[in-house]
Amino acid sequence: MSERRHAPAWLNKLSVWGALLPFFAFGIIMEVIPIITIVSASLTDPGHGLSLVNYQRSMAPLILQSFANSLRLSAVTALLGVVLGTLVSLAIVSSRNKLLREAATALADVATNFGGAPLAFAFIITLGSTGVLTLTLKEFFGISLYPAFRVYSVSGLVLAYLYFQMPLMALLIQPSLLGLKAEWREAALNLGASTFGYWRHVALPILTPALLGGFLLLFANSFGAYATAWTLTGPDINLVTIQIAALIRGEVQLEPGIADAMATASLGIMALCVAGYQWASSRAARWRL
Amino acid sequence: MKRASLGRFMVLGFFLTYMLLPLLATVAFSFSVRWDRTILPEGLTLDWWQAVVERRAFLLTLRNSLFISVGAMFFSVLLVTPTAYWAHLRVPQAKPLIELLTVLPFGIPGVVLALALLRSYARLGAAIVYSPWMLIAACMVLALPFMYRPVANALAALNVRALTEAAQMLGASWVTTLTRVIAPNILSGVLGGALLVFSTVFVEFTLANLLVGARFKTFPIYIVEFTRFDARQASALAAISFVVAWLTSLAIIWVAGSASRGRESLGPR
Repeated sequence: MSERRHAPAWLNKLSVWGALLPFFAFGIIMEVIPIITIVSASLTDPGHGLSLVNYQRSMAPLILQSFANSLRLSAVTALLGVVLGTLVSLAIVSSRNKLLREAATALADVATNFGGAPLAFAFIITLGSTGVLTLTLKEFFGISLYPAFRVYSVSGLVLAYLYFQMPLMALLIQPSLLGLKAEWREAALNLGASTFGYWRHVALPILTPALLGGFLLLFANSFGAYATAWTLTGPDINLVTIQIAALIRGEVQLEPGIADAMATASLGIMALCVAGYQWASSRAARWRL
Repeated sequence: MKRASLGRFMVLGFFLTYMLLPLLATVAFSFSVRWDRTILPEGLTLDWWQAVVERRAFLLTLRNSLFISVGAMFFSVLLVTPTAYWAHLRVPQAKPLIELLTVLPFGIPGVVLALALLRSYARLGAAIVYSPWMLIAACMVLALPFMYRPVANALAALNVRALTEAAQMLGASWVTTLTRVIAPNILSGVLGGALLVFSTVFVEFTLANLLVGARFKTFPIYIVEFTRFDARQASALAAISFVVAWLTSLAIIWVAGSASRGRESLGPR
């Protein structure tokens, strides 16, 4: 103990930081180097140095279409997820039955972590051409889903994505809904506002940052998803993640430069969403003091 | 007020149906003789379950998945807990950097991580870049936010400095302090994080498919293969995956619940 006290300050500091070395080594090897590698490779033309040639070659219709499809799918499922998730959360927090409240929150907790292959398959069993719900609707209500609807299509993907988007939003927005103070509502109503007026002019402006943050996180969540789409629709639907995976597996002619450019563009989109989410949720937290 | 509770009833009913129907349908399907012509299954059977369980590949892929998810869980605990503790106690300046590295994975899609790892380390040889160990490390990246957050929250709720000083004053070494004093106090955070890592990695398909693929077939890869040629047996496999996910989630909720009950029993601080 006493020897350590006599060690020079810089050595002491070094050994204090040294204990964090394994973690930082892991982060650098598994996160920083891989990201820098693809970003710099996407901006390089082998033999010619810095260049945008990979991005120019990525302007092919198939790739542009994949970005358009992924952005649209993410926007639709994020928007529906925000609206439905907020309604669900509202129903949960305003419920007077404690058991129901806890059970519904726990269910949302579990479902958020669901996804991928088993979930996509569950949707085929439920809504496929001979699915359980498809048959029920036909027999009992005379509603034929097919051929107008197909679960192996974009609309099927939207329904499957909503399975994890809706509960995720319900969990994200819950603290903000619980933070709406009863006094604010009473004050608004005492001053002559209608219930609608309270929501329109008081609650909604307070909730806006949380809703925006939720939208961005759901958008990113959907943009990066791969397993659900791959199980449900295979290569039929042209999404960014499906294209990158096909490039990795070498199913299309191997063009590493294009894969790097697509991956870098995806990272940019994801970074904007996550940074926007962080900013919005710090704004949302101001009301919860 | 009547209208509001009717609305609430409908919203919650819709939500519960949406969340439960696909799962229940899949489980019921796996026990049905035939269920594609009539509204109710044409009889019940255990045939599909038996066929699934008897395959050698079933146990093999289940074992592979357990190896990957338990491995990722074990190394995540080992890497993150001491780091979070040490940063909390001695190097608070390092916290923003650590937090950056633990939030970053939220912004990296699985396919992009797989591509980036292959492009960075392919020259080290197939034995390294396509190995199960690489898959474990990649899954740890994906699960880093889930491991770090609960541990950091548990540390923040504790007077780490006082506990550490008391332990050291009584002659405890660093290892003893960490394992006998700090660990029991942040156990619920560590356990909750570890279980989240396990449940995330157990269902991870993207990284497994793109990094190891057929070389080290995991359970989710096996399920996807089956969905292409036998729906009934695939539904049994999916049901197993649901049960694992539900049990882990219930364990997480139980751990979190017992932790907050523990805090309540200590009274306000």
